Amino acid sequence: MIEDILSILSNTLIYMVPILLASIGEIINERSGVVNIGLEGILTLAAFTATVLTFTTGNPCLGLIIGLLVGTASGILHGVISVYLRGDQIICGIGFNAFAYGISVMGLVTIWQQHGASPPVDTLPMITIAGRYSISPLTILALLIAVIAWYWLFKTSSGLKLRACGEDPHAAEAMGVNVLRTRFLATILGATLAGLGGAYLAVGWIGQFTRAIAAGRGFIALANVAFSNWNPILAILGSFIFGFFDVLSTYLQIKVQAIALTYPLKAIPYIGTLIVVATFIGRARMPKALGKPYIKE
Amino acid sequence: MNPRASAVEMKNIVKIYPDGTIALRGVNFNVMKGEIHGLLGENGAGKTTLMRILYGEIKPTRGEVRVFGKKVSFRGPWDAIRHGIGMVYQHFTLIPAFTVLENLYLSLSAIEKVSLSDVEERVKNLMEKTGLKVPLDAVIEDLPVGLQQRTEILKALLRNAKILILDEPTSVLTPIEVKELFNILRKLKDMGITIIFITHKLKEVKEITDRITVLRKGKVVETVNTHEVTEVDLAKMMVGREVFLKIEKSPPKIGKKVLVIEDLWVKDDRGLDAVKGISLELHEGEILGIAGVQGNGQKELAEALAGIRPIIKGRVLVYGKDITHLSTAERYRLGLAYVPDSRTIGLIYDMTVTENSVLTNLSTVLSKLMRILWNRARSVASKIVNEFSIIIPSYDSPVRYLSGGNQQKLMVGREIIREPKIFIISEPTHGLDVNATEFIRKLLIKLRDRGKAILLISTDLDEILQLSDRIAVIYEGKIMAVGRPEEFTLERLGLLMGGVRA
Amino acid sequence: MLKAIRDRIRAKFEDYTTTTIEIVASATIGLIVGAIILYMFGYDVIRCYSIVFTKGVRDINYLLTKASPIMMTGLAFTIPMIAGVFNIGGEGQLYVGALTSILVAYYTHNILLAATTGALAGAGIGALIALLKVYRGVNEVITAIMLNWTLYYIVLYLITNIYYDPTIPHQSIPVPEDARIGYIASPWGSIRATFFIGVVLALIAYYVLYYTKLGYLLRVSGLSPRSAKYAGFDPNKAIIYSMILGGAFAGIGGALLTLGYVPYIDTTMSIVFGQGFTGIGVALLGRNNPIGIIFSSIFFSVLIIGGQMMELLTGAPPELADVLTGVIVISLALPYAYRMMISYVRTRRMIQ
Repeated sequence: MIEDILSILSNTLIYMVPILLASIGEIINERSGVVNIGLEGILTLAAFTATVLTFTTGNPCLGLIIGLLVGTASGILHGVISVYLRGDQIICGIGFNAFAYGISVMGLVTIWQQHGASPPVDTLPMITIAGRYSISPLTILALLIAVIAWYWLFKTSSGLKLRACGEDPHAAEAMGVNVLRTRFLATILGATLAGLGGAYLAVGWIGQFTRAIAAGRGFIALANVAFSNWNPILAILGSFIFGFFDVLSTYLQIKVQAIALTYPLKAIPYIGTLIVVATFIGRARMPKALGKPYIKE
Repeated sequence: MNPRASAVEMKNIVKIYPDGTIALRGVNFNVMKGEIHGLLGENGAGKTTLMRILYGEIKPTRGEVRVFGKKVSFRGPWDAIRHGIGMVYQHFTLIPAFTVLENLYLSLSAIEKVSLSDVEERVKNLMEKTGLKVPLDAVIEDLPVGLQQRTEILKALLRNAKILILDEPTSVLTPIEVKELFNILRKLKDMGITIIFITHKLKEVKEITDRITVLRKGKVVETVNTHEVTEVDLAKMMVGREVFLKIEKSPPKIGKKVLVIEDLWVKDDRGLDAVKGISLELHEGEILGIAGVQGNGQKELAEALAGIRPIIKGRVLVYGKDITHLSTAERYRLGLAYVPDSRTIGLIYDMTVTENSVLTNLSTVLSKLMRILWNRARSVASKIVNEFSIIIPSYDSPVRYLSGGNQQKLMVGREIIREPKIFIISEPTHGLDVNATEFIRKLLIKLRDRGKAILLISTDLDEILQLSDRIAVIYEGKIMAVGRPEEFTLERLGLLMGGVRA
Repeated sequence: MLKAIRDRIRAKFEDYTTTTIEIVASATIGLIVGAIILYMFGYDVIRCYSIVFTKGVRDINYLLTKASPIMMTGLAFTIPMIAGVFNIGGEGQLYVGALTSILVAYYTHNILLAATTGALAGAGIGALIALLKVYRGVNEVITAIMLNWTLYYIVLYLITNIYYDPTIPHQSIPVPEDARIGYIASPWGSIRATFFIGVVLALIAYYVLYYTKLGYLLRVSGLSPRSAKYAGFDPNKAIIYSMILGGAFAGIGGALLTLGYVPYIDTTMSIVFGQGFTGIGVALLGRNNPIGIIFSSIFFSVLIIGGQMMELLTGAPPELADVLTGVIVISLALPYAYRMMISYVRTRRMIQ
């Protein structure tokens, strides 16, 4: 029994990483005023490119890096359209999700002639605790990033400036902050973290690319951002909870050996997320200028 | 050549916007070091444009700018700041969710490397020197407007502003806060700071400035020494014709009691009490003017009467019927009409003239099956357009293509066409030119002569005095006094509006 | 008088020109990017595209029938959009609509009843999303996605464990022959009435939006919730009604799918998967206008069918359609900004 609980715990620490990384990234750019709905697409595309590179080179670290860079590239695209061209951020994100999915699956078919999943690839080594529980080194990295992000946003002057862009961009501009550039950089940083999360999905954890690898995690991250009231430390808690639902779903599918119930059990993470968000969303206060393009007076 | 040193010299400034509008037509503007210089003009005269050029926000199409004798070409506000120019905007550029100290820190760290404690020390010194005191750890949105403005001034001074530009600083202040501001300005002048004071208020510009430059339609009319002109002179320069400050009206024919407000309590958007137990009566054929500085509960009062804002306590009666719990739509059907102070609320900019014309009375153009009869809507629209001489590109153009004055006429005309019994109107002539203003004020008198009951809310005291048959002064959600215009001098009104029972 | 007419025509002309440019530009950018990607992956671009656009339109019946569900999910996105709500839950709403209509048709053999209950099922999900938004403040994007996935698995569970077809593996129970939408004769051969039913529904949507009180309420609330309150409307009602309508249309899309195209759902869910998301692209390319949606649904149908043909003949993956949809949607995120800037400049001109 205790073994089961500890095992669930350690698995949660593995499962929560993509959500946590994507959440922190999104908190950063949403605090600056830009919303990126395309997280799901970034996760998918980063996972795909990471798998391809790891497959060809045999080195999962390289895969991790390329996934991260794919995130950066996506951030540049979203940033240019949302910040400099004043495009509709939500529609751009929706379009990007379709685009990223399309390219990834096209690549899957072209490279491996597979329609569902790629062949397995090497993954990053796990850290073993007490001989049989493993967590990923990226878990620790993600937690570290969360703490650093919190400190940066709330305790430094550059963090203050970034938050100003999301609260009142006109006031921030009048105080000498380059709002457009700050938002652009924040978007890139946010997407990069999401890219890292996506790469981790493939080469740090699951070990292959499947067409449904993101499984809605990009949107769960969006829910987590609001749930955590745009606070990276609370985002850790949220990711843990949502990761737990994910683990619970898998655990129950194994424990309850009824094939019939597989599908309803798979729905647990989503129902769980919905219930948690609906119950606790209450007092969350979002950045006042979130989602609205900044047009200089 | 004037022996006193020049602080600002703007020569032959021309500004033409990308869409062809000519905002400034060769303006010469000179400010002497250490003086308080007033920049006077109506809306659209070009005052703000001229100052935005000085502050580096926009570039002049032609002309030269010199600051302290040196020729400058600013690429942005940060350039101007480095040359010692500070701007205090009409609408503050503070971040409401942050504290005073955080805001000051943010603005200072934009131009030099400082730590939070550095800034705190500097601010404390400054507050000592100037007498401008603000609580550093207070969150901006919780502070009264006067203190927010002081934070703005501190912000500019912290950045070593030697020239301070104030854009309509008194429009958001109570008379007492205005007095305090003027004391501060005089103290700053003693410290050697040059002040440019943009306004359209004649009394104030006479009180505080040393010299005045009057702008009209993008050109300088004249630059005068303040003590050599009267308010009437200034008004004539501003408008270009004899300004008649009196509107002809016959004595009111007061009828039945139409609206009774009993001990009304209403909360504002932040959950605080905005209206604290107001009781008023309104009769047919009279205009009751509510005088007060913006932010004392007028908006909440009007919205509560219209049914847009919930009433916490108290009652509202129309012809004896209790309407306290009726919906907005039901109140409109009963004969109440409301014109808000903001066109962005009263009109939908992306909808057509026709669509906007039936916004508040859709039920009159509906068929039995909830189908909109657009022909009928169109005739309502043309009735409004013709009766109020509104200039429109077409009935199907979005309302955003109309000029401000025409938009206002549409918003007001739409409610008048409905022949309401009670007419609540807020800031009817805000932002309008002289012709449109006259038109609407005469219209209100006509309505009142036809037996309508009008509740007029305005921050423009001249408007209140001209139009009202009775005046009520509102301050911090309470009625300070009610009476006929003859019972109030301008001074008494000012005191009441500032919270002093006089 | 004459000047007024001339001005009106000029205003409408400007409007139509801008819109046409937007649509053509985004479609073109989409096709260009798609070509680049095809080339990158080593496929013969010219051959692929020619197959998509020639074989795609070969079978008119297939083309129009396949356009019908995405026309409905397009409306499912547009109607709430007009009221200011992002309904990306068309997927889940279509799933329940499809399954419900199959079940009702199977047991009652009544096509009208089946379609209506399908619509109601979708409407119910839409209402749920709206209520969570209005009363709990939950963002509709998150609710919709969570419901999409949840409903995916619930429907999958139901068709594999309870409502499966015992005679044909990997399929749900079918819609009986007498409950299916029939054919209409036309110069191009027999065409299922599905598309025309869809067109009628789109026209009804147009009428409701622009000629009824409800449509006016939705439009006002979407453009300016504060003005809506001033006018005496309740913006929350607009959110709820628009989502009920949106969900209903997605549900009908599911019903049209099963009653008028493929009479069952396969256990890989391939028949229903993606119909909701494609609808978003259809809505945007149709500029959130029911009439425009009718035409853009045909365009997307060409892409999808063409994509399938392309896969058959060249092996290039049909997910090209997703790429094209994605790029078109992204390039349509821009004109909103472009329009915003034009009207901004115009307003400043007026104010001066």
